[in-house]
Amino acid sequence: MSELLNTLMQDARVWQGHRHRRTTQPAEPTGYQVLDNQLGGIGWPRGALSECLLDAPGIGELHLLLPLMQRLTKAGKSVFWLNPPHTPYAPALAREGVDLDQVVMIHTEDAGDFLWTLENCLRSPVTGLVLAWPGKLATREVRRLQLAAEAGSNVCVLFRERRYAEQNSPAALRLELTPGDNQDLKVNVVKRRGSWPGQRCSLAMAHRADLTFREAPRVVQGPWNHSQR
Amino acid sequence: MLWLYLHFPHLLLDHIRRDREDQRPLVIVEGTGQRVTQACPEARDQGVRAGMRLKTAINLVPELGMVRAQPEQEARILEDQARWLYRYAAHIVLVPPDGLLAEIGSLQKLYGGLPAVWQTVEQALNEHRLTAWIAIGHTPLAARLIARAGKGECTADKGHILRALETMPLVAAEFDGKTCTRLQRLGLNTLGEVFALPAAELARRLSPETLAHVQKIQGTRPDPQTPWQPPHSFRQQADFIQEIEHTQGLLFPLQRMFSELEDDLCWRQQDTDSLHLILRHRHEEDTRLRIRTSGPEHRAEAFLNLIRLRLEQQPLRAPVVALVLSVKRFLGREASTSQDLLGENQDLNEAWHTLISRLQARLGEQALKRLSPQADHRPERAWSATEVRQKHKTRLAAPEHLPRRPLWLLQGPQPLTEPPAAWFAGPERISGGWWDGQRVHRDYYIAQLQNGQLAWIFRDVREGWFIHGWFG
Repeated sequence: MSELLNTLMQDARVWQGHRHRRTTQPAEPTGYQVLDNQLGGIGWPRGALSECLLDAPGIGELHLLLPLMQRLTKAGKSVFWLNPPHTPYAPALAREGVDLDQVVMIHTEDAGDFLWTLENCLRSPVTGLVLAWPGKLATREVRRLQLAAEAGSNVCVLFRERRYAEQNSPAALRLELTPGDNQDLKVNVVKRRGSWPGQRCSLAMAHRADLTFREAPRVVQGPWNHSQR
Repeated sequence: MLWLYLHFPHLLLDHIRRDREDQRPLVIVEGTGQRVTQACPEARDQGVRAGMRLKTAINLVPELGMVRAQPEQEARILEDQARWLYRYAAHIVLVPPDGLLAEIGSLQKLYGGLPAVWQTVEQALNEHRLTAWIAIGHTPLAARLIARAGKGECTADKGHILRALETMPLVAAEFDGKTCTRLQRLGLNTLGEVFALPAAELARRLSPETLAHVQKIQGTRPDPQTPWQPPHSFRQQADFIQEIEHTQGLLFPLQRMFSELEDDLCWRQQDTDSLHLILRHRHEEDTRLRIRTSGPEHRAEAFLNLIRLRLEQQPLRAPVVALVLSVKRFLGREASTSQDLLGENQDLNEAWHTLISRLQARLGEQALKRLSPQADHRPERAWSATEVRQKHKTRLAAPEHLPRRPLWLLQGPQPLTEPPAAWFAGPERISGGWWDGQRVHRDYYIAQLQNGQLAWIFRDVREGWFIHGWFG
């Protein structure tokens, strides 16, 4: 019996909890040291799907990816925006140092075209990053995308609503994004490959509107009940 | 000078047969539709002969396919043949309706002897799946007469050629009908007997034209030929006997056409980025498809992939009777840096063009956009989206001098429904557009909404509050 156990232990497919090490999967640093630390020091996985789950735009979700976008476009890789809900504003991207020659925005008519386009982008060696807003996706379709992502070696981030956090998903990394009090972005790691989930951190995102040195001017109003003289 | 003549005994038949997958009996019918002029081997096996009445042929083979010969179609097909022959010989003359003449005296050295030239042409004919009778003559007419008689031999010996001509019957010598009858009444039966007549008598008793014809055959009178010039475009047509109803059926002939296009482009040392495809229907207007690749391309496989995607998206309106592929735009070919010595390094530029072309073929050219900032103060006009074409480099002067703007811009301003939780920056007044009627006069603020979104909001002259962007 112990012999059988020993052979099983030798098998690389058996994963033992105490041997937890850093994963060696290829990845791109996020550009935020705090988040990198939470993600085991690696960042966005390459050749796998990542999901960002958020309720509403405008909480710093694009700034989360901006360092990666800057780095990839400088290196000559293309960044595809697939079905963005609003217009990516060119002057702002240019100001942030994203090379717009490498940015392509794609709009698709239906879900079939969407999956087909995403798969093609993921398989191409020119792609560095794909940002996609898929709307509704069946788990089977996410699985299909995950396989397509494995065929390439680029970062693919799907932006989905937060209610999907409850559903399971084959994506390698799932982040739940919520706005914080001081224009920061709270990141909750729902799932990550090769380690336990549940890490939380908060990223300062006030610089996205040049608010670094400005405290919010809150209006303090009366009447006060316990006024002291 | 030495001339090579190619006589195509059933060119139209060959042309149609090579784009067919099934090999059912097929005949070509003369313009009036009365008689069979050309019959394919399958039809001949069942007893159909050239010159037979069409009714008889149909009685013999009920499932016979028929194509009516049209002079302009035949002329076009003949020119197609000249196009590939031009790769082997420079001086080509079209001899309608079914002949090609090429000057090969100057080619002997290039190919290493006459047999090599002969072999090259025969091989090319095989590749194009064509039947042709070849002959060599020291004059254009001599080559033609021998070829049409089917007695061509690979020789440059003038004496041998003349002997072959002398044994030829008078009917095959292509005199006009009246002259031929007169010569026969004189008791002459072979061309050799006409050659033996004294020239002065021939001109006096018959006509100077007859003498000219005889002398042109013999080579004692010059017979200048105007060379054919290849057109600066590529055009291929496939004609179908059975109408094609499914796109799948179009792929077979397209495959052949694209491989010929690839050959043509390789030979020109050029690339192209747009193809025109015309699908002819019997009763409806032609369907015209324009396929663009995002960059210079010459590979048949790439074209076929794009057209397949396009045809999948766009079903056929009506059955197709003919297919025309034309390319008018040629681009100089760039030095290919596609692979290094070990074939490991894939060319990203090429991969980029392939990807963009694929996406554009399926989604339409409008679906892909490239963004760029524009010099305008009004936020909705400070950016533009253009179609993705060639990969080009545009340099911005100084991006860091651009004002702070949100990463998301809404399609149009949305009314602000709730008071913001906190105000940060502003107002920034943007006023302009008096010059083109799109007047904008707004005060912009940065504010945080109740649910934590950081918004770019403005108040316009009508005192309304709107959200115009999100700081994503």
